[in-house]
Amino acid sequence: MRENHRFLVIQDVEQAEPVRELESPFAGTVFSDNGTIRPCTGCFGCWIKTPGRCVLPDPYRDMGAYLANSGELVLVSRCCFGGPGPFVKNVLDRCISYVHPYFVIKNGEMHHRQRYHHSYGLTVVFYGGATPEEQRTAQEWVQAMAVNLYGRVNEVRFVEQPPDWRDLLRTLL
Amino acid sequence: MICGSPKGKNSASWVILQGLRDALPPQAAVREYAIRTAPLPEQALRGIAACDVLVFAMPLYVDGLPSHMVGALLQLEADFRETPQKERTAYALVNSGFYEGHQNAHALHMLRHWCRRAGVRWGQGIGAGGGGMLPETQNIPMGHGPKKRLGQALQTLAEAIVSGGQAEDLYITQNFPRVLYRMSAESVWRRKGRKNGLSKQELFAAPGEGPTA
Repeated sequence: MRENHRFLVIQDVEQAEPVRELESPFAGTVFSDNGTIRPCTGCFGCWIKTPGRCVLPDPYRDMGAYLANSGELVLVSRCCFGGPGPFVKNVLDRCISYVHPYFVIKNGEMHHRQRYHHSYGLTVVFYGGATPEEQRTAQEWVQAMAVNLYGRVNEVRFVEQPPDWRDLLRTLL
Repeated sequence: MICGSPKGKNSASWVILQGLRDALPPQAAVREYAIRTAPLPEQALRGIAACDVLVFAMPLYVDGLPSHMVGALLQLEADFRETPQKERTAYALVNSGFYEGHQNAHALHMLRHWCRRAGVRWGQGIGAGGGGMLPETQNIPMGHGPKKRLGQALQTLAEAIVSGGQAEDLYITQNFPRVLYRMSAESVWRRKGRKNGLSKQELFAAPGEGPTA
């Protein structure tokens, strides 16, 4: 069992209600697409109006808090030209409340300061026939995202067919 | 010219595109599109598909493309595949609030990969750091002061576009010391917070020891 076995799953394989608690033996939350998610508008309201919380009133507004309460972030996404698909990326774009607008210098680069004294493991499964060049970009993107959002990359996997994310979680227990 | 910022004309991406437009010859036939959400309306899709040169400008979101642009690009890719005989060249400008331009590299690589899939020739990409200061410094001409390097990069890009050429991607930082950029940015966040009635300490709120939704 991972150190903190509370999962945060963001997946685009199956359409479902936006927020569901995972059922035993898993603990945590799964975020899915039901076609209602709103894109980040770049307003920075989650930094300067309601710090730590997105101002858009939908089920994805507390992504920072969900991330802060998770031991493992699991992304299951179609790979689109070396990055995640629109839904998974949309949820991640809504996660910036997890960090603070102030800057720090890490590895000689500017990044955002931590809001929560917390970090999490990161497992990413891309599906959908990425080329080797796209796989390289996707790997690099995951590493960069982990630096900016204070995660630790455990695994990045590429598969052809959309995987069953519950089977994936079993391998992580 | 395709502005992929959800902020449209209030964005750094828009400021950069206007700087590029000023660097292009006046006779260049330019259409402007602002993509704030996906899917694209049919009229915008048809208009973009009719262009020979596509210039994308967008902000970096979580180290990659904003999600609505991923959706819009998938839509364009599907459309372009239906007209593989049409030759198109794409140029791209990605900016971020981080100081270092190279942090935009992954987003530019994704746009390159999209080009391969959509049958579009890649022209050149520019990754610009310090995007946050651009809407605040619109009174300073491009190519001068803190915008010196950005202005030079836009001139290079304009020349590549006019010649239909390809060039190496460029990564630039603004002509402004990093320590001052950081201090200025943090001062702006505090000022904006105060306007919303928030103290400096309140900007550090960490809500939801347990999720609240």
